[in-house]
Amino acid sequence: MAVNFKDLTIKIIKIIFLAFVAAIFLLPVYFTFSVSISSKARINEGAIVPDFYIGHWIEITGGYWKTGLINSVIVSIACMGLALAVSLPAAYIFVRYRFIADKHLFFWFLTNRMAPPVVFSIPYLMIWRGLGLWDTQWGLILAYMVFEVPITIWILASFLASIPREIDEAALIDGYGFRGLFFKFILPLIRPAIGVAMFFAWLFAWTEMFFASVLTSAVAKTIPAQLLTALGKVGWGVEYGPAAAAGFVTIVPGLTLLYWARRYIVKGFTFGRL
Amino acid sequence: MRNVFVGVLHFRDMFHDYRFRDAVLRSITFAGAALGIELPLGLGLAYLLRRPSIINSIITALVALPTLFPPVTIGMMWLLMARRNGPVGMIMNWLLGGTYDPFGNTLHAWGTVVLMDVWHWTGLTFLVCLAAVSGIDESYVISARTEGATRWQVFRYAEFPQIVPPLTFIALLRLIDALKIFDEVYILTGGGPGLDTEFITQYIRTVGLEQWIIGYASAMSLVFLFTVLILSWAMLMVLTGGRGLIE
Repeated sequence: MAVNFKDLTIKIIKIIFLAFVAAIFLLPVYFTFSVSISSKARINEGAIVPDFYIGHWIEITGGYWKTGLINSVIVSIACMGLALAVSLPAAYIFVRYRFIADKHLFFWFLTNRMAPPVVFSIPYLMIWRGLGLWDTQWGLILAYMVFEVPITIWILASFLASIPREIDEAALIDGYGFRGLFFKFILPLIRPAIGVAMFFAWLFAWTEMFFASVLTSAVAKTIPAQLLTALGKVGWGVEYGPAAAAGFVTIVPGLTLLYWARRYIVKGFTFGRL
Repeated sequence: MRNVFVGVLHFRDMFHDYRFRDAVLRSITFAGAALGIELPLGLGLAYLLRRPSIINSIITALVALPTLFPPVTIGMMWLLMARRNGPVGMIMNWLLGGTYDPFGNTLHAWGTVVLMDVWHWTGLTFLVCLAAVSGIDESYVISARTEGATRWQVFRYAEFPQIVPPLTFIALLRLIDALKIFDEVYILTGGGPGLDTEFITQYIRTVGLEQWIIGYASAMSLVFLFTVLILSWAMLMVLTGGRGLIE
């Protein structure tokens, strides 16, 4: 009985802790939703309890939000697919093969993320205009690749690095070709990493605001850039309601993706390794 | 205004610029605080939520949800929440006996900024940790248990070595992003009270885009870039025992 009691106590503490964490993380999300359905006067009073004013939501359903949403979906899904297609082989090569200055090249990739985007924006704008890529979806996708591919390579490589080399050797000795080795052994082993990498690639394209507002004007504008423009129109910093509504709209597709990514990540290796 | 070559003038100025030095130190302190909370919290949550179940999936989604908001929205919402009549303001006032003042008290401002960052980015560290923990090869764990290792020893010697590379990656990413933080803090505190939450990105912006001293701002960006570079490199070397992520 004593052991059971101890287990029960641990379980209860665990549940209380998780409920506490969930509540803390939910509070700002609830508050954002609450602000989005509160009138201006109610927002000034605190907006903890909304008064179900739908004006902000009507305001953000204007025509250009629809194009923004479509653009966002196209750009972020293309980024996700392209980044993964490029970085999977690259990460494998970085982990398994040695070549001149490989470590330096690998670290240099990450430095792409260190400089503030403002530094890059002007040269990008000029080159993209010259190439006719400005204000096109492909232009935006290409620009995001520069920042996303290094991150996805790092994610995949960090997971690949913990897979022992013996697995490759065993598979090759057993008569599998390189293709068999890669698709039958390596890919299933880094399934969780692929889930995370896809989520990262999608996330950064989906929430990126600065490049989206510099490299597009009307045709290829994504939702966050649209948000910035809309806030600029109504004088942002004052109009909290529409900002909250638009912010809330942007997280909805992510929720579905998250649920799916989680299943991909936690599949777990019940079969062990070889 | 003539265009003249000033040599190392800007870099010499930086040595005497206390505002620059303090802003860099603040950024580093902030990154340390953010990393110090987000990594253990993310790893702990990953261990608690590693088993597949509906409740675990829901909590996973909740914790990762904030990463999906654009940073500008987050700054605005936290500004509303930290007011006296907002939810965070109310809870903090209840905890601190009505003295909570994020716009006047340095410690409270820092607490709010760090809390905002933890809320925003723990989801990311948590997802990477979750993937790392789900990828642990159980055979090591089982043999360690058979040898009679305690739970801590199992974690330290059987599980931890396997999850070091992903942890290194997410620590580096969070370090870089935390040092670069701008939007949220700028909207929430505007660098105040006084200059107490002014991070280096905000100082560079003030000098470059408000005082229009582009040369000095560029020089500071460069020095800051190298600071980030050296810190990341040092962190990579410490976490991987000097080997780097790829051998």
